[in-house]
Amino acid sequence: MTVDLKAEIEVAKLNKYFGRRHVLKNIEFSLAKGGFLSIFGPNGAGKTTLVKILSTLEKPTEGTVRIADVVLGDDPAKARKKIGLISHSPLVYLDLSAYENLEFYGTLYGVADLKERAEYLLERVELSHRRYDLARTFSKGMMQRLAIARALMHRPSILFLDEPYSGLDPHAVDILDGLIDSIRSDHTFVMVSHNLDKGLELCDTAMIIEDGRVIFFQPKREIDVDAFKDTYRRAVRGDL
Amino acid sequence: MLALRQLWVILKKDILLELRTKEMIVSMLLFVMLTMVVFNYAFNAEKNDLTSFGGGLLWLAFIFTAFLGLNRSFVHEKDEGCFDGLLLSPVDRSIIFIAKMLGNLIFISVVEFAAVPFFTIFFIRYPYYIYWSRLAPFVLGLILGNIGIAGVGTFVATLAINTKRRDLLLPIIGLPLLMPVLAPSVIISGAMMGGNVAGNTAEMVSASMKILVAYDIVFFAAMALIYDAVLGE
Repeated sequence: MTVDLKAEIEVAKLNKYFGRRHVLKNIEFSLAKGGFLSIFGPNGAGKTTLVKILSTLEKPTEGTVRIADVVLGDDPAKARKKIGLISHSPLVYLDLSAYENLEFYGTLYGVADLKERAEYLLERVELSHRRYDLARTFSKGMMQRLAIARALMHRPSILFLDEPYSGLDPHAVDILDGLIDSIRSDHTFVMVSHNLDKGLELCDTAMIIEDGRVIFFQPKREIDVDAFKDTYRRAVRGDL
Repeated sequence: MLALRQLWVILKKDILLELRTKEMIVSMLLFVMLTMVVFNYAFNAEKNDLTSFGGGLLWLAFIFTAFLGLNRSFVHEKDEGCFDGLLLSPVDRSIIFIAKMLGNLIFISVVEFAAVPFFTIFFIRYPYYIYWSRLAPFVLGLILGNIGIAGVGTFVATLAINTKRRDLLLPIIGLPLLMPVLAPSVIISGAMMGGNVAGNTAEMVSASMKILVAYDIVFFAAMALIYDAVLGE
């Protein structure tokens, strides 16, 4: 696979070991600015580990990751300013209010218009009426909406979404869809999902990882959806 | 400037969370008081003059009280993956270490300073003695000892954050690392509470202070520098 030097995300010869376990095997891909990559695969395939490495939470054992012209090993702090992560866990403090959580993260990122940005995002995720309530009083859906606001607080240009729709009620799904739609044009997305239809609907490139290897990587326009779904099901069953 | 703001906001968050939940301070206060009550009965403090053992008893109670608190110091970070949120942000890892350490230092010190008056009443024959003539070196000894405990404790608590037996890791790794802190702290506190010290009291206290200062500086700098590696970066 050729590596695009002008890509927003570029991964070359990436390997990750946990002890003796080879979790990611020679992963290579690149994603252009403004692209939307959906990553599918069975449980334990290495999807979340890949997202953790891309978002600087894990270090690769071998290989290079370049995010927005920054090689992660060289200056991870610079890359972190451009990255937002929405994961299984909301990454919000339960005993801080919604506003305090956003204010906390905004200060860490050096957001200049802290108050206005927090107010705007709370409005966008429809939590402004609960801004002073502790996060522990929120439902799962509200918590996830707060997590979305937290991830967008510092205006990242690249968003990593690790199963962002899991546990969301239909209203929260609509809000997340609307938010993604509104920032889609000037953001790059990488989403891990088990939901084939949702993942395919949003993406412009799809990837399937199985046992730490990329077994499928194609632009959506070239994908035969039925053949893709068949490949995915065989990967989940372990038939590949 | 941003680094200072980041340090302050992490420290402020820890203090705010502790004020709201009181998880560390209440459990530490209860533990240290209970320890004193047990010591009181075990050593029959009403009949026996324990002044000579005061320093040892004080720091025995304080070290395990501190461990109890330090084991809980990352509870809020562990909840809902908040520590990942902290690591995702563009904050220098040494800033995270310093902020968490300062928070722990404040909580441990608050509990200790609340416990000292009760301790002196229980165990020291002339409790007024430390308040007037030797208060400054006594307090300085406590603070220097606490800096060492908070530094090593925060470091080891971070190592333990993703381990299953995290409650065990702190005493197993932390206690040997803290021996150079405990010995001089016991000497200073014991001497300042009127206990006997081998050799010249002023010289022993002065030497112990120097050991504590040197330990705090060396360990603080070393831990701040290698905190990156501990977090896997």
